[in-house]
Amino acid sequence: MVFGIVVLHVLLAQTSFRIDRAERTIEELSEEHLSLIREQATLSAPGRIAAWARRHGMRLPDDIRILHAPGDGSADPAGAGTPSIDPTGGSGT
Amino acid sequence: MTRPPAGRLVAIFATMSLAFTAILVRLALLQVSGQAAELKERALDQRVRTVVLPAERGQILDRGGDRLAMSTPAVDLYADPRFVTDPWATASRLSPILGIGIPDLVRDLSADTTFVYLARQVEPEVAERTRALELPGIGFLDASKRTYPAGALAPQVLGFVGIDGEGLSGLELGYEEVLAGTPGERTTELDPHGQPIAGGIDIHRPPVEGSSVLTTIDRELQFQVQAALAEAVSAEGARGGSVIVMDPDTGEILAMASYPWFDPNAFGESPAWTYRNRAVTDAFEPGSTNKVITAAAAVQEAALPLDQQLSVPWTMRVGDFTIHDSHPHGIQKMTLGDVIAESSNIGAVQVANRVGSSAMASYLSRFGLGRPTGVGFPGEVGGIMLPLYEWSDTSLATMAYGQGISATPLQMVSVYATIANEGRWIQPRLVKATVDPDGTVHEAPAPATRRVISAASAQMVSRMLAYAVQHGTGGNAQVRGFQVAGKTGTARIAAADRAGYIEGQYIASFIGYLPAGDPQVVIAAILDRPRAGYGGLAAAPLFQRVARASITRLGVTPVERLPLPPHALPVG
Repeated sequence: MVFGIVVLHVLLAQTSFRIDRAERTIEELSEEHLSLIREQATLSAPGRIAAWARRHGMRLPDDIRILHAPGDGSADPAGAGTPSIDPTGGSGT
Repeated sequence: MTRPPAGRLVAIFATMSLAFTAILVRLALLQVSGQAAELKERALDQRVRTVVLPAERGQILDRGGDRLAMSTPAVDLYADPRFVTDPWATASRLSPILGIGIPDLVRDLSADTTFVYLARQVEPEVAERTRALELPGIGFLDASKRTYPAGALAPQVLGFVGIDGEGLSGLELGYEEVLAGTPGERTTELDPHGQPIAGGIDIHRPPVEGSSVLTTIDRELQFQVQAALAEAVSAEGARGGSVIVMDPDTGEILAMASYPWFDPNAFGESPAWTYRNRAVTDAFEPGSTNKVITAAAAVQEAALPLDQQLSVPWTMRVGDFTIHDSHPHGIQKMTLGDVIAESSNIGAVQVANRVGSSAMASYLSRFGLGRPTGVGFPGEVGGIMLPLYEWSDTSLATMAYGQGISATPLQMVSVYATIANEGRWIQPRLVKATVDPDGTVHEAPAPATRRVISAASAQMVSRMLAYAVQHGTGGNAQVRGFQVAGKTGTARIAAADRAGYIEGQYIASFIGYLPAGDPQVVIAAILDRPRAGYGGLAAAPLFQRVARASITRLGVTPVERLPLPPHALPVG
C-alpha cells in the first residue's frame, strides 16, 4: 500500500516535470515563431526594400507606359503620340 | 535506587498537563474562532502564487494582411532592494547588459522600497543573460513589446501604445477594446524552493488574445505616398503636408499620410504635435477646391444653362469687401466649365448667386462639410460651417470659392469621391474587418451612403474637372495616357492670434481622380505654405506623382475620355 502510494507520487512528479518541460518548449517555440514573424515583417517592409534597391542602383520608372493591344498584332504605348504635361503648368487658385 | 520524590513527579505531570491543555485550548481557539480562516488564508498565501498572464495584443494589418503593428514577448526587470546585497557590484554587472548607467542602477537598487523597475520591455535574450547572473534581489516579469516592423509607415494612422501596452493614439487607441484582449492568470502551489508541487493547486485561466484589425491601408502605396510627400515638402520648403488616397467605390482609404511624421517604435523622440493625423484632425479653409460644390449645386439645380456665358470681371464688390481673381484680367466671357477650369473667384460668386444661399448651404451640408465623416478615427473633427441663419452678406460669396469655411482633407477627398462615385457620398473608412485569434473574420459594417447629386450631374462636373486639368489651372496634374479630373486650391490661412489672414502664405492643394471616365482612385495632395504658393504649381505635381504610384500599384487602366464641357475660352 505504502509502496503503491510512493510509486504514484513518483509518477506524478515525473509527469509534472514532463509537463513543465513541454510547456517551456511550447513557450520557447512560440517566442521563436513570433520573432520570425517580426523578422519577416521587418524584412518585407517597403522602406527597407526601397533602400536596398537604391543601394543597388535601381529606381522607379520615369513614366508609365500602357500598351494597348488593338488585336491586329501591333501595340502602341498609351500617350506616345499625344502631348503630355503642359510645361508652363498652371497658376490655379 | 531511590525513587524520586512523589512531589516532583506530580509537579512535572501537572506542568506537562497544563502545557498540553494550553496547547489544546489554543488549538481549539484557533479552530473555532474567526482566526482560523484568516490563518488558513495566510498559510495558503505563503505557498500559492497567482501570476497575471498578459493577453497578447492583436495585430494591425494592412489590406493584404501584412503586419503594420504587432506584439512580441519581452521581459520587465525589477529589483527588490531589500535583497540586493551589494548595489554597486550588482549595478556594474547589469550595466553592460541593460545599457543603463551604473549610477542610475545604483540609485534604483538602493531605493527604500520593495519593488522598482530596472528596465522594461527588454528582449528575452537580454533577460536570459541577466537571469544567468543569478543576482540576489533581481526579478523578472513576462511582458510584451509593441513593434511596428515597417517603422515610420502611416504612424499617425496606426498610433502607438504606452509602456503598459494601452493604446494612446490612432487606431491603437480607437480600437483598444478589440486589440487589447483579456488577461488571464495562473495560480500554482509552490514548495519552499519555489517549485510547483505535483498534485497541488494549479489553476490556469488562459489569457484571451486580442483580435487583429485589418485596415484598408495598402502598405506599398502608403510608402510611395510618404516618399512623394516628403520630397514635395522638401522641394517646396513647405511646413508640412497631407495626402489621402481613397477608393471612391468603397470609401476605403488606401493611403493616408501627414508630414512630418514620427517613428512609432520611438515616438518619445519626436515632438507630440507630429502625432496628430492632420488629414483627419486638422481643418483648413479649402479654397478653390470647394468650387466643385458650387459647380455641382449649379448643375444639379440647373441654376444656369451650361453654355451660358457669364461676364466675369477680375474684381467684384461684395458687402464691404472687394474680392478678386488671382490674376488681373479684363471682362471675360466664361461658361460654368470655364469658371472651374480657370478657377475664377468672381465667376464662382456669380454662379453661387444663381444657386442661392439656401440651396448652397444645403449642398455644402449634403457633401459632408460641417460634421465629421465618421471614419472611426479618434479625434476626427468636422470643420467649421456656419449654419445658414448665421451667414453674413459675404458668406455665400466667400464659401463659393472656399474661404470662410473649413474642412479636413478627409472631408474634401470625400467631396471629390462623391463626384467620382456618380453623385453618391460614401463614408470613408480605415478598417475593413477585425479578425479573431481563431481566424474568424468580422467584416466592418457597410459604409453609410447617400445620394447628393444625380449621376448625370456628377458626370457633367467630372467633365468640368477634366477640362480644368487638360486646359485650365491643373495642367501639372496630368498623367500621360490618362484623363485626370481635378481642381487646384490656393487657400489663405486664418491667423491664429487675430482676425484676418496671414499675408502671403497659403495652403496649396490639388484634389482629383482618375480615370475621369471611370474613377478608380481619388487623391488629395495638400501642402502647408509651399514656396510656389499656388495649388497648381506646388500641389498638382505631388498629385501627379501619387497618381502614377497609384496607377502602377493598383493596376488602374485608361478608359474612354470624357468630352469637354461647354466652354467659351479657347482651348489649344
